Formats: sequence, C-alpha cells, structure tokens
Amino acid sequence: MSEPWTPRIVVFQCQYCLFSAADREWMDTRLPPNIKRIKVPCTGRISPLFVLNAIQGGVDGILVSGCVPEKCHFKEGNLGARRQLDEFRRFLNYLGIESERIRFAWIDVTERGRIQREIASLEETLSLMGQLERLVTRSPLAVQGEAA
Amino acid sequence: MNQLTLAIREEAARLLDEGTVDVVIGFKAGTLALKTQPAFITQAAAADQLVHNGFGQNNLASFLTRRSDGEKIGLVCRGCESRAVRVLVSEHQYKRENLYLIGVPCTGVVDWRKVERAGGFGPERSANASHAAEEGDEVIVTLAGQEHRFQRADVLHDSCQRCAYPNPVGTDVVLGDPVPEVSAQDAWSAAREFEAKTAQERYEIFAQESERCMRCYACREACPMCYCTECFVDHNFPRWMESMVTPGGTQAWHIVRAFHQTGRCVSCGACERACPMDIKMTYLTDKLNDDMQQLYEFEVGANDDAVPPFAAFTLDDKKRFVR
Repeated sequence: MSEPWTPRIVVFQCQYCLFSAADREWMDTRLPPNIKRIKVPCTGRISPLFVLNAIQGGVDGILVSGCVPEKCHFKEGNLGARRQLDEFRRFLNYLGIESERIRFAWIDVTERGRIQREIASLEETLSLMGQLERLVTRSPLAVQGEAA
Repeated sequence: MNQLTLAIREEAARLLDEGTVDVVIGFKAGTLALKTQPAFITQAAAADQLVHNGFGQNNLASFLTRRSDGEKIGLVCRGCESRAVRVLVSEHQYKRENLYLIGVPCTGVVDWRKVERAGGFGPERSANASHAAEEGDEVIVTLAGQEHRFQRADVLHDSCQRCAYPNPVGTDVVLGDPVPEVSAQDAWSAAREFEAKTAQERYEIFAQESERCMRCYACREACPMCYCTECFVDHNFPRWMESMVTPGGTQAWHIVRAFHQTGRCVSCGACERACPMDIKMTYLTDKLNDDMQQLYEFEVGANDDAVPPFAAFTLDDKKRFVR
C-alpha cells in the first residue's frame, strides 16, 4: 500500500522576516517532510527560474515568505521581487498553472505564528486542487544538482 | 524601384559622404528572392545596394549591440526597429548621439511561410523563387517562370497584421509619408484569444509549440533585446535548466526567454520569422506586454525616458502588494 498523497511544497523563506524565535525554531526543526524550505537572503534573490525549476521538478505549490514593504532588510529587495514574481505567477497562469499554487506571505514583525498558518492554508488548498501535472517535465535530480 | 528605396539610398549616400556616420545598416537584395538580407554600407558609392520592401525579415536594431562601441551608425528604422532602439538606448546599450536613425514608414513584412502555404509550394521550391515584388496590394512571386499573385494583407506576418506602430518614432529623419495606424486594441488579439481557452488547452498548446524546439537559439539571435553576453541557458555551473532537447529544457527556455522580454519586447516578430521550426512565440510576449500596460501603464518604446517596470519598483507598490 502506498502512503496517502500529500502535496509537496517549497517555501522560499527570506532569512530576515521571521522575528519570533519560536517560528524560526519551527521552520528549522519541525517542518513536515513534504515541505522543503529554501532560505534566501532576501525575496529579491529569488529568480523566477527558481520557481520554474521547483515546478518542473515536481512540487505542487510554492510559498514565498518575505518582509512587508518598507521593512525589507535591503530597503527595496522585496518590491523588485514582488513585481517580478507576481508577473511570473500571472504568466504561468496564462500557460495553465493555476495562480493559487503560488502564494506570497509578506510577514510583519508582530505576526507570530503566521508562517505556520500560511503553510497549513496552502496545503489545504493544494489538497483540494490535487497534484500538479503540467510542466512537470524535468528529469529527476540526484545529489548536488547533477542529473541522474 | 520604389520611391522609398531611392530616398534611402540618397540619404545613406549623403550621410556617408558628409561623414555623419561610419556605417549605414539597411537591407539589400539577398540570394533568396523572398528574403532581403541585412547590409552594412560603409561607402557612399555602395549606397545603391540598399533596398526597401516587405521582404526584410530581420529586426535591424539587433545589430546595434554587436557593433563596436562609439561607431557612428546610420540605421534604417521601421516602426518596430525605432522602438527597439529606444529600449536599447534606455538600457544604455548604445549612445543615442552615435546613432542617426533613418525612419521609414512600414507596411508590414511579408511572411515567406505564408507565401509558401498560400502558393502550395514547399520550402525547397520557394527557395528557388527567381523574383519577388510588391505591386500595390499584391505580392508577386515568380517561380520556375510562372507568376503567383497573393493579396498582400493575407501573407503579412502575424505581428505585422496586428501592428499598432507601423510609423517610426523618435527618428532623426522620416522618409516617405506616414501610413495609417490600426487601433492598439487589436495589438494583443492573439494573446487574448489564447487566454480565453481553458487552462488544459492553454498548456497543451504551449507544450505542443515548445515540443518542436530544437534549441538552435535563432530566436535569441534575431531578437534585438537578447544581448546578454552569457545567456542563462549557456550557463553550465550552476546549470539553471536542462540544456538538452527535452520537454523540460525546451519548455523552460520558452517560458524564461519570453519572461526576460517583459516590458521590453517590441512585438516585431523577428523571433518567429527566424525560427526554423515555425514555433509561435509572440503570444507569450504579447501577454506580458499586455500585463505591463494594464498593471503599470507601461508601453514599450512609447517614449524616450520610460524605465521598464521591473527596474522601476517604488514604495507606492505596497498599495497593491500581492497576497
């Protein structure tokens, strides 16, 4: 018997936006196995290629967690990221990848525990939507990014 | 010989004679009747090689970033080329003062593939066409001594059929009379039509189109905006995407190639005309341009100092920060 299907999620996490130690600890140690976390210095570091790579590699949903506008550690990295990633999401939707699969969470200092809620809510949405089969075309990767 | 050709030759000879420019880039007759080829004229005496007709498939602005810096260039510009120059100048790829733009109103580029299909002759035979000419609303192709006539409007390239800016903008001189402009509403019709389909249909069409790609990168070479010295697909460490001809590799190429054109593509269609596999690509970039117009009121090449939306983020954006 195979295990019941759970959505696979990649979380791009800005390293500055989780202020609560409990949240950071949860992200570092208690993330469920179907969720992969990729820490980035700033959401501005996320190239649309990363998102595309994740989708081609077989994830069902993506969460981008960043700082709210004005609170960016690099002043405006998240503003640039927003313009690009928002448009990239629209563009993928145009090609048949539902927008709901890519979600943004701009987290403020006071929003303790929000990251857990966001992940849970995305997971729930994805469970209803089912597996993403479009664009999943990449050959599987072995260790260190080399093709198997 | 049309009036515009004569005017271009005269202007090119004058510029080279007076030393205003070092080279004039235009079109000259090539080995194939249905395709004129880019010409680089450095002497006034050679200016009578230049021609102007609907068979110039390239976007001449793509040569700017390949010429040595500081060279004074006279560029024959149709509508799309003049807007491409504007984008390149705003991206600091060439100094405007080193350019002399010779604007020519354009009535559209004849798509050689459409001629092949409409005439029922395959690629081998259309390459043997001995003569191609335009007469009013008609395109006349002579093949093995036989004359074929086509309605010009039927065999224009798709991008030219919905072109909103046939007249050159911001040029130093405009030769000939301006041509009527169709409404900008039609410009994104292909993208709107595509968008009206279901998600499954859209993905299938995209997958079918990109499946034919053999990754020759002719679209990249033909594009005036693709000037990176190292393209993301040529990186092999880190390797951003599959570099083989696989569905994963070709789909990623088409998605990201188009995405890099966001707010930069001038919809000239040179990529489609250069593609040996006849892959449709403008429906991708048209969608992105449509979005830029709706979200940021940005129109590519519409004026001299507009900063592309991805380079011009401001704090005002927080009012519509995405969830």
